[in-house]
Amino acid sequence: MKTTFIVSLSLCLLAMTAAMAVAESLPAGIMRSNGIPAPALQLDNLDGEAYDLEASQGHWRFVHFWASWCGPCRKEMPGIERMVSALGDSPLEIVLVNTAETEDEVFTFLGIVAPDLLPLMDTDGQVTEAWQPRGLPATYLVDPSGHIQYQALGGREWEKPAYLEFLRGLGIPESQSD
Amino acid sequence: MRIRMQYLIAVQSWCGALLGTLLATSACGIDQPYPGPYVENEDMLMVLMPHSPEQIAAFYEARGFPKAALDLISKACFVTVHIENKSQRVIWMETATWHLSSDKQPLQRLGKDHWDTRWNKIDLPQANRATFGWTQLPVQRDLQPEEPVGRNIVLDGTIRKFNLEARFLTGRDKRGGMLEVRFQDIDCPKEAPRQ
Repeated sequence: MKTTFIVSLSLCLLAMTAAMAVAESLPAGIMRSNGIPAPALQLDNLDGEAYDLEASQGHWRFVHFWASWCGPCRKEMPGIERMVSALGDSPLEIVLVNTAETEDEVFTFLGIVAPDLLPLMDTDGQVTEAWQPRGLPATYLVDPSGHIQYQALGGREWEKPAYLEFLRGLGIPESQSD
Repeated sequence: MRIRMQYLIAVQSWCGALLGTLLATSACGIDQPYPGPYVENEDMLMVLMPHSPEQIAAFYEARGFPKAALDLISKACFVTVHIENKSQRVIWMETATWHLSSDKQPLQRLGKDHWDTRWNKIDLPQANRATFGWTQLPVQRDLQPEEPVGRNIVLDGTIRKFNLEARFLTGRDKRGGMLEVRFQDIDCPKEAPRQ
């Protein structure tokens, strides 16, 4: 009986330590969310093609809200383009949402700082409003079933190894991620 | 609950005032690291950046705001507030608890209701409303460790100077003590600074 208790206690402590290690391994500024369902996101991109987040379930999504007038967004965007390039054929889907700007504004800005990125256009800002980000820029990581599992606080240097490693590891079972 | 009060004072004409307090954190105009009056210690950084009517109107004009909106915006005093949680605990920004004053009279922040009423009157497009909204400091924010927030508060444009006393509770449960920051005699510029 006593042995069983000690083994159970040890296993429990081991599990707690492992859980803490996972929590501590998050890159700076990445916060766990509580798995709430992602709000609807149906928008056209800059080329006029329709996108629906719900229809793209089955893999992780990097959902990023930004505007060209926002200083931290301007600073972060080139790093996002480098991140996209570094992730190569990763199954992570990159979803960039411009908040309430015109096509001209977006085209002019991205043409200079990140010409390979193709954002969705939230022309009246209503989709952004529904997601209720803490501010701009805002990034959410949505799991394959459509639930928000992480969010980033403010702008991040996504092209840095810590973030790339974290993003590459999404969806990989912990036993395989060592 | 044991409350740790921490007073930090910043003033725009700060050199003389700083002589009287050991806890103040600011600079005297030499090698100013931020573009406005600021308070900084190991827990947080708070910077105020008042804008002239020309500066703020130019910003919104470049975002396609119509003249009727620019006229209203130009009559107000816009101050960009940057706050950064430098600690490893949660810092609660709750602007309803801030005390703004001018000439010893309480001063109200011109908040969402104020602007919604005016935007309705001029039928401001939704995109402009969204942009304006995202440039306004939220009413409440649980600033996580190392999280910054930087947006505007708007005041009555007729004032020339104002004071701000801001209190911040700390800790996830708001029981970690209080930080208090004071800014005194902050200008609401009436003209763009000379180059």
